[in-house]
Amino acid sequence: MSHSSQDNAIESGRLVRALIYTLLIFFVIYYLLPLWVMVANSLKTLDEIRGGDMLAPPKDITFEPWRQAWSKTQIGVEATGLKPYFLNSIIMVVPAVFLSTFLGALNGYVLTKWAFRGSNLIFGLMLLACFIPFQIVLIPMARILGMLNLAGTIGGLILVHTVYGLGFTTLFFRNYYAAFPTELVRAAQIDGASFFQVFWRILIPSSGPIIVVTIIWQFTNVWNDFLFGASFSSYDSTPITVALNNLVNSSTGVKEYNVHFAGAILAALPTLIVYIVSGRYFVRGLMAGAVKG
Amino acid sequence: MASLTIDKLIKSFGAVEVLKGIDLEIEDGGFLVLVGPSGCGKSTLLNCIAGLEKTTSGEIRIGERNVEGLHPSKRDIAMVFQSYALYPNMTVRGNISFGMEIRGVDKAEQEKAIQEVADILQIGELLDRKPSQLSGGQRQRVAMGRALVRHPQVFLFDEPLSNLDAKLRVDMRTEIKRLHKRMGTTIVYVTHDQIEALTLATKIAVLEAGYLQQFGTPDEIYNDPNNMFVADFMGSPSMNLIDGTLVERDGALEVQIAGHGGSSISLPVPDGAEMRKHVGGPIVFGIRPEAMTDPDGADRTSPHIETRDCYIEVSQPAGSDTFALTPLGGKECIARFRADARIELGAFSPISFNMTKAVFFDPQTTGRIR
Amino acid sequence: MRDRLQEWVPRIVLAPSFVAVLIVVYGFILYTGWLSMTNSRMLPNNEFIGLANYTKLFGLKHWSIALTNLAIFGTLYILISSVLGLFLAILLDQQIRTEGFIRTVYLYPMAISFIVTGVAWKWFLDPGIGLENTMHQWGWESFEFKWIKDRDFAIYTIVIAAIWQSSGYVMAMFLAGLRGVDNEIIKAAQVDGASGFLIYRRIIIPMMRPVFLSAFVVLTHLAIKSYDLVVAMTGGGPGRATEMPATFMYSYTFTRNQMGVGASSAIIMLIMIFSIIIPYLYSEIRVGADKR
Repeated sequence: MSHSSQDNAIESGRLVRALIYTLLIFFVIYYLLPLWVMVANSLKTLDEIRGGDMLAPPKDITFEPWRQAWSKTQIGVEATGLKPYFLNSIIMVVPAVFLSTFLGALNGYVLTKWAFRGSNLIFGLMLLACFIPFQIVLIPMARILGMLNLAGTIGGLILVHTVYGLGFTTLFFRNYYAAFPTELVRAAQIDGASFFQVFWRILIPSSGPIIVVTIIWQFTNVWNDFLFGASFSSYDSTPITVALNNLVNSSTGVKEYNVHFAGAILAALPTLIVYIVSGRYFVRGLMAGAVKG
Repeated sequence: MASLTIDKLIKSFGAVEVLKGIDLEIEDGGFLVLVGPSGCGKSTLLNCIAGLEKTTSGEIRIGERNVEGLHPSKRDIAMVFQSYALYPNMTVRGNISFGMEIRGVDKAEQEKAIQEVADILQIGELLDRKPSQLSGGQRQRVAMGRALVRHPQVFLFDEPLSNLDAKLRVDMRTEIKRLHKRMGTTIVYVTHDQIEALTLATKIAVLEAGYLQQFGTPDEIYNDPNNMFVADFMGSPSMNLIDGTLVERDGALEVQIAGHGGSSISLPVPDGAEMRKHVGGPIVFGIRPEAMTDPDGADRTSPHIETRDCYIEVSQPAGSDTFALTPLGGKECIARFRADARIELGAFSPISFNMTKAVFFDPQTTGRIR
Repeated sequence: MRDRLQEWVPRIVLAPSFVAVLIVVYGFILYTGWLSMTNSRMLPNNEFIGLANYTKLFGLKHWSIALTNLAIFGTLYILISSVLGLFLAILLDQQIRTEGFIRTVYLYPMAISFIVTGVAWKWFLDPGIGLENTMHQWGWESFEFKWIKDRDFAIYTIVIAAIWQSSGYVMAMFLAGLRGVDNEIIKAAQVDGASGFLIYRRIIIPMMRPVFLSAFVVLTHLAIKSYDLVVAMTGGGPGRATEMPATFMYSYTFTRNQMGVGASSAIIMLIMIFSIIIPYLYSEIRVGADKR
C-alpha cells in the first residue's frame, strides 16, 4: 500500500497541491478532534468543563478523573472504578482470541489442504455465519448458557466469542493457506509427517503474518463487543464496554464528564495501542474482512 | 530398488475420468519418462504412484508389493517437486533430515546421511542456509538431496527442471542422468518437454487425454510412432504429416502429394496387406525434417533415398542447420538442410526423402498403417 | 488400517467447529424463527400463533420508527461514508509525503469501540458542555446545535458519529483499490490527452466498482447491526426518537417481555442482511472460482 512508485498521482500545479494538503490537514483535525476532546477534558476539573471551552487544553492538569475512573467511581452499585471490569475483559479476551485463532488455523488447514467432498459447503456455511446479526442468536444463546451453567460467567462469554469468531478466523486462514504451496504438504507427507506434524512443522512456522492479523482482528472485536457483554454477563463478569456504558448513562448523581472521558480512553487504550503498534496487520484484517472469496 | 508395475489404472475426480486405464511396467533400475501435453494426466499418474492421490481402480505394484491404500511415506518412494517444495522455515540440513527425524533415525546417523548426500550433490557449504537464500539450481539440488537421503526403491520427479532457465536445465539434465547411472535406482519422471524425455529415458510413456498413446524406448517412440499424436508431439521441429493419396501404378504403391501451384510429387510406398486397404483413398505421409534434406546432405547409409523437386518458399537459418519450408499436401513442411546448402527461394529445388524413415497413418483413425 | 484412520483425521478436526457453527448459528436461527411464531413473553413457550407476531410488529409505532430511522441512517451513512472515503483516498493517492501518518489518523476510529465513540460524541455534541457551549465561549453567542436533544434531529447525530468511525475504513478500501489500478492504463490516458480530473472521472472511478460494492455491503451490514453506538449516544432517545431495529429487538425481548415480537424483529433483520450478503458472497465466490 505504500509503494509511492505505484501511485496514480497525476501531475498537478502548486495551487492544487496546496489545496490537497489543506483538505488532508482539515480531515486530520476532524478525525483527531474527538480524541483530543476526550484527552483534554479527562485532565480538567468538572468546574472547568462546565464553565469552559471543551476544545481548550486544560488549565490546571489534574489526574484525579483518571484515578476516579480506574478505581473509585461508582458503577452500578459498587464504587470500584473500571479496574475490575478491565480485568474481566482481559480474562475474557485472551482465551477467546487464542481458541478461535487456533481453531480457525486448523479449519483453514483442513479446508485447503485436506478438502473433502462437502468441505466447500461447510466453508460456505461458516462464511455466511460471519454476517448474521447477533440479535438473532441472543435468545437461544441465553438459554443454552443457562443450561450449561455458564449464564453470567466469563466462561460463557469466552464460549460465545469463540464460536462466533470462528467464521472470520477460518476465513482468514483458509484464504492464507489457499496460497500456501500444496507441494510442501505433499513433500512432508512423503517424508512421513502426519496430519498434525504437517500442521505444526510446516504450516504454522510460515503462518506468522496471518496469525498476527487474526489475533488483532479477534482481539479488537472481542474487546470492543458490547452486545454479548450486555446480554450474557452478570455484575462480576461485566466487560469494560458495558461498564463504561453503565458509568456514562447512569441516571443517578452528577455527570462527571471528566471521569467519563478518562474511562472511555481506558476502554479504548488496549485496542488503540495494538492499532498503533501494528497498524499494518490491523488494516490487512479489515481488508480480509471486507473482501471475501 | 525395484520394478514398478501399473495395471489398468483408472482415476476419476468426481464424474471426470482423468486416467482411463493405464498399463505400464518399468524394470528395476529403469528410467521411465511420462510425457504429454498439460492436462494429459501425467502428473495425476505420478501422484497416484506416490500415494498422494487415491486411485479409483487398478493396481500399482512397487517390486512385488501392491501399494494400494498405503500412505506415501510407506511406499518406499521419494519425490522431487516442480516447485522443489523446500520447507521455507527449515535450513537445507533441516529439509534433508526432516523425513529421518519423523522416522526417528538417531542424530549421528542423520548427520552421516546428510554428509553423504551433500558430497554427492556438492551442497556441503549450503547446509546451514534457508531455501530463500539459494539460487534456483541450488534449490533443485537440495530437493534432490532430500529425495536421495531416503534411499528409496523408486524416485519420482514431477517436472523438476521446468522452473530453471534454459542453460541450467541442460546442466541439470546431465546431472540427473549421471545420478541415475551412479545410483541405479528406478526413476519415474514427468515432463512436458519431449527433448528431456528422449535424452533421459530408458522407456517413454506418451499420454494424452488420459490414455496411454504409446509406451516404448526413446528410439521406438521417435522412429516408430504408433499414431499421429505421438509423431507430432515428439521431436522438434515435429514430424511433417503430409496429406496425400495412395494410388497403385504398375502394381506398385505410391503416394501422390500436391505441391506448389498445380504441381505434385509422388513417392513410392512399401507394399503390404494393410496398406492395400487404403488404395485410392487419403493417407497421411509422415516424415521427419531430418529425413528431408538437400541431396548432398542425404544419409548415405540409407538404402532408399528419393529425390524430388519441391518449391522452397522460406528458409530459416538455425546455425547448425537451415530449415527450408516447402508446401506439400496443402501445408508448410519443414526440410532440414545443411547450414551451407545453397537455397534459392521462390524456386524449385531438389529435396531428398529418406524413405526408410517414412511412416504412414490412416487419417480417419490417426493410427499407424504398418 | 492406521492409514485409513488418517483419512478421517481432517474431518474429525473440522467437526467440532462445524457442529458448533451449525448449532449456534443455524440451529439458533431456526429456534428464533420458531419463537417468532409463538406467544413467548418473558420466557420462551411453545404455543404456536402463526404470523401474529409479525402482524403485530408491523403494526407497532416503535417498529416503524425503527425502520424509518434505519432508512435515514443507512442511506446517509452509506452514501456519505462512501463519498468521503473515496474522496480521501484520492487525496491520499497524490504522492503525499506524510501518507503513512495521515492514513493512521484517518483509520484509528475503526480500532475503538462504538461505546467509546458514542461517549465522545455524546458529550461533544451535548449543548450544555460541548460544541454549542464552546462556540458561546468563543463569542458566537447565537450558535445553536441541539440536535442530540431534538426528536427530529437526534438520528443525524448518530449518523455523524458513525461516519466518523467508518469513513477511514472505506478510505482504506478505496486506497487499496486505487493502488491496484494498472499504471499503464493511466499512462495511456495521459498519452490520449486526458487531464487529471478526467482520468479519475472517466477511468479510475469506474474501475472502483468492485470496491463500491464491497463498501456498500460492509456498511449496510454495519448499519443494520448498529446497536452499540445508539445505546451509548442516545440510549434510543430522546423518547424513542433514535430507535433502530437492533435496539428495538433488545428492548422488546429483554425489558418489555415480548420475546415473540423481539424474535420476529430479529428475523426481519436477518432477512434484510442476508438479502444483501448472499447475492454478494455468491458472486464473489463465483468470480473467485472463475479466476482459478
